[in-house]
Order: sequence, then structure tokens, then C-alpha cells
Amino acid sequence: MIFNIAWKNFSRQGIRAVLNVVVTALAMIAVVFNISLYNGFQAQTTRNMIRTDVAGGHYQAPGFDILSPTEWEDHSLKVPEVLKNLPPSQKAEALVQQGQLFPNRRLYPVQLRGIDINQTLLDLPLEGLKSYREKVEDIIPAVLGIKMAQKAHLKKGDTAVLKWRDRFGVVDARDLLVVDVVTMVNSRVDGGVLWLRLDHLQDMTQRPDEVSWVAVAEFQGTVQGIEFQTVDELTSDILNLIKNERRYGKIFWVILIFLSGIGVFNTQILNVFKRQKEIGTLMAFGMTSAQVVGLFTLEGSMAALLSVVVALVLGTLLFTWFQSVGLDISHLSESTIPVHENILLDIHPGEVVSTMIIIVCIMVLVSWLPVRKITRLDPTLALRGRAIT
Amino acid sequence: MNSIVAIEKVVKVYRVGSEDFTALHEISLEIEPGAFMSFVGPSGSGKTTLLNLIGGLDQPTSGSIFFKNVKLGELNRTALAEYRRKNLGFVFQTYNLLPVYSVYENILFPLLLDGNKESAVRQSVLDMVASVGLSDQIKKRPSQLSGGQCQRVAIARALVKKPALILADEPTANLDAENSFQILELMRELNKQFKAAFVFSTHDEKVTKYVTREVGLEDGRVCWDKRRNGFGSLE
Repeated sequence: MIFNIAWKNFSRQGIRAVLNVVVTALAMIAVVFNISLYNGFQAQTTRNMIRTDVAGGHYQAPGFDILSPTEWEDHSLKVPEVLKNLPPSQKAEALVQQGQLFPNRRLYPVQLRGIDINQTLLDLPLEGLKSYREKVEDIIPAVLGIKMAQKAHLKKGDTAVLKWRDRFGVVDARDLLVVDVVTMVNSRVDGGVLWLRLDHLQDMTQRPDEVSWVAVAEFQGTVQGIEFQTVDELTSDILNLIKNERRYGKIFWVILIFLSGIGVFNTQILNVFKRQKEIGTLMAFGMTSAQVVGLFTLEGSMAALLSVVVALVLGTLLFTWFQSVGLDISHLSESTIPVHENILLDIHPGEVVSTMIIIVCIMVLVSWLPVRKITRLDPTLALRGRAIT
Repeated sequence: MNSIVAIEKVVKVYRVGSEDFTALHEISLEIEPGAFMSFVGPSGSGKTTLLNLIGGLDQPTSGSIFFKNVKLGELNRTALAEYRRKNLGFVFQTYNLLPVYSVYENILFPLLLDGNKESAVRQSVLDMVASVGLSDQIKKRPSQLSGGQCQRVAIARALVKKPALILADEPTANLDAENSFQILELMRELNKQFKAAFVFSTHDEKVTKYVTREVGLEDGRVCWDKRRNGFGSLE
């Protein structure tokens, strides 16, 4: 009987019930959207780093640190046989050196990154370098990312003077030709980076067969005289940054849940407040406190469950649309965040379920709590509408 | 004891701010089965308080109230709820109809609460709707009815389970003269038909000529208790 009464009460409340359900459903969607966007940001960052730079880890020259440019010259080595024999889809050899570019009479410190042109492990749009011979000639071909090209005011076909030092400390300079300007999804391999053929850079710096690191698809075991850096180690700085962001995201999630809870609480308390006389009347008719509390809690539960259904339907529509457009983060292109393309949601079912459970619990709780308080008071207060003021 | 309700030296004190306010001073009364009586007095005289105490909605500060020799003060909340469900009908000044229910459903509600199946009591509800003259309004909701019609629904709802006692708090206060007259006529008729005792609280002079007993209250004390036999004046 209580179920039938609750359903009748709930289904006939009209706009009040609809608003209650919609507000709660939107709260659920907002919370899930927010946390999934952070997930997407983190997943996309990691993916881009792996795709364009990190792969399954790096075998590095001992002491090499990408964040210490002044020491790059001191840390290179010949590729060990075990790595050299890997197919191009399983390894990417790279030599990293310092250089100075003089575009339009300006001085621009650059990272010279020579990459094995036959490798297919890293997703780098360097086809423009393939047509050149192994031996570097009078003009050094280079590919630039859009960000680098914009900063240096260079475009495809431009030339600029490039200066560098070889392994003996001898400074050399030659013209550099921009053979291509490409889009890099990872800004860390764009800004300040000149992409050269590995054989050219080895030739220029007199480091035949030497590399700074070899990216591999997967760990090949310990190799004598070379250090292995895992994906986590290579991405630790950016992941720490994102983890910090995520921490703020979690705080934001808690705040959103709290605000949603307040919204739901307000709606429910207003609902109960408006129905105080009804509660008093039900008690006057002989409904026990437990029955009245059960009735209102059941109504709240129905609203909560319907909110879940509405949130699933609206959320599916909204998220499907969002996944087709993504969130434009081009404003971050000046940062070192390795994401260039639009951010998509990364929805974790566990987080969706936990968010819904929390909000449903809040809704049931705020249906139960005020009515329980009213039914514990004198019914005459409820009849006069003064049980909660 | 021949009465259905016996009130013995009932005192009710309310806490108002930091001070105590005595709403009822040692009231003693008896209500007979089938009575048609009113508590009369100005606002604050204790009429509604007395009705609430009889209805088990409130507890006296001291003294006792018996319903059919059962002391209400000894019943717990659940037993009091059952007492109200089985024995009482309430009519409120503001009708207190359930807003999302139709006329039919409002009247049906107390019977469902009592554990009846709708199919078993449908005819009783329809008869009750007819007896208050609302058969043509049966599907309407309270918001679609006039004040007089709402009060008729409230009376039908109070009577449908055939309780021994109907407590009506200012049932005509929100009605115009014509509707008040109709409602009082209706209640007197139903009182005769169903033999339920009707107890009103009122400060409406018009009620006086309908009741067979009038208890005057002032400042929480009984000032007079007049009875009438047949259609004579109250004595």
C-alpha cells in the first residue's frame, strides 16, 4: 500500500517532481563530466607522450637528462648490438645535441634532435627528411613543428644559419633549410626542437653511430653500460603536474558533490516543508511515524532512481555529442602540456557508479531526515505547518 | 462509564519563549456516544488544544483522557496512531485534503490505511461521495473545488470508516454563511445517520443552533456546559 501511495504522490507532483529529478540528474552529469574530463586529459597526455617520444621506455646514455641541455654533449654512446638488431618498428634511435639558430638575425637556442629516419615506433611526421642522402651536404634539412616555426618566424622553404659544436668542441655553422612545418600533438617535441636525420646529426657532430637514447617498444632486459628509463620515469614530471591538477579536480569533485547535495537537499527540504500539513494529516489519520517516514523516503528513492535513469539518458546524449567535438584546449599550446588536439572524455564506470550512488544516497538521506524529525515532534506542529520553519 | 470520552482534570501548559502559558486549567468533561456538541470560545480559549488532546495528537501536562475507558496517556505513539486510525475522524478548518488525490481517492485513503482493498470498499466510498452530494465532482482534485466542496470531501473522508468520534476544528471558519449552513446541516444529518459523535471547536454563533450541547471555554476554563433536548434552547 505504501508503495502505491508513494508512487501516486510522486508521479502526480508534476513540475515539482520533474524539477527535482532533472536537477539531480544534471548534478550527476556535471560531476561525471568533470571527473571524466580530467581522466581524458591525463589519458591523452600519457598517450601522446608514449606515441611521440617515450614509447615503451628509453635505453639512455648513462647520465643523460633531457632537462639538462648543457650536459647533452657529455652523454652519448654507441648503440649496443642487442638494440641495434631490433627492427625499426621496435626501436627509435635518437641523438640530442645543443645548437643555435639564427633566423632573421635573431639568436635562438635549439635542441637538435636527430632521429633514425626509418623508425616507425614513434609517430612523428618527418617524411620530409626521407628524400635526403645519408651524408649531410651544404644545407642541413630540418623539420619544424608549427609552434617552433611560429616562434622562430620560419616557414617551409626558409633558410637560417645553424651553429653547433662537434664532439671535440669545434664550432661549426651551416645553412639550415626548413623542408617541412608539421603539426606535433606533443608540444614537448615541438617548441625549441629542430628535427634532423640521425645520420646527419651524427655526421655534423662527428659522433658516428652514437645516440643519446634508444626508444623501445618494450623492455629488452638489462644492457651493459646503458640505463633503462621506464615510461613512468620518463613521464613523471608531466604526470606529477597532472596528478596535482587531478588533486584539484578531486577537490572540485567533492565541491560539486557537495553543491549537488545542497541543491538536492534544498529541493527536498522545500518539498517536505511544503508538505508539513500533509504529514500532520497523515499522522492524524493514524499513520505511524515509521509509515510516514517510509512513505516520504520511498518517494525520495523513486525520485533518486528516476534521476539516475534521466542522467543515464541525458548523459549518454551529451557525452556522445561531446566525444564528437571534444574540448578545445588550443589556449594551452604555449604550455609544455603535451596535448595539442581537443580533449575527449575518459569515462570510468566505477566513478560513474560511485557518483550516482553518492547522490542517490544524499537524496534518500535528505528525504528521510527532515520527515523523521517532523514525525518525532508533536503532530499538531506539523498540522500547523510549524514543525520545520 | 457511559461516555466514549472522559476528560479528568486535564491541564495543558505550553512553553512560550521563557514563560509557561497554561492553555487548559483542570478541565473535566464527558462526551456521550452520538453527541453533536461544540466547544465555543474566543481565540486562545483552549478549544483546539482540547480537540488535539482528545485526538491523541498532543499529551496533557497533567490529568487524564479516557477513550472507551482506555487511558490515552498510557498509549505509545504507535498505539495512539492505531487509536486515531480505528476510532477517529478529523475535519480541519483548512480541509487538509491530499492535493494530488481526487475526491474519490481522498475519501478512499483512510480505508486503504486501515488495510482494506479498494475493490472491497469502492461502493462504500461511492455511497459516501453521494451522501455529501459530490458524485458529479468525484474525479476532481481539491484545487478544482470550492471551499464548501472541499469541506464536504473532508467530512466524507472523516466519516467513511464509520468512526465513533469525529473531531472538527472550526469546520465552518473558512466558509461563507450559505456554505456554513449547508455543512452544518450535512453534519447533523450524518450524525443521525451514522451515530458518530461530532465534537466541534468553533467561535461561530451559527453553530449554536445546530448542536445539542455547547461547552463554553474561556482562558482554558469551562465557563458553561449547556444541553438541549430536541429543538429547544440550550439550558
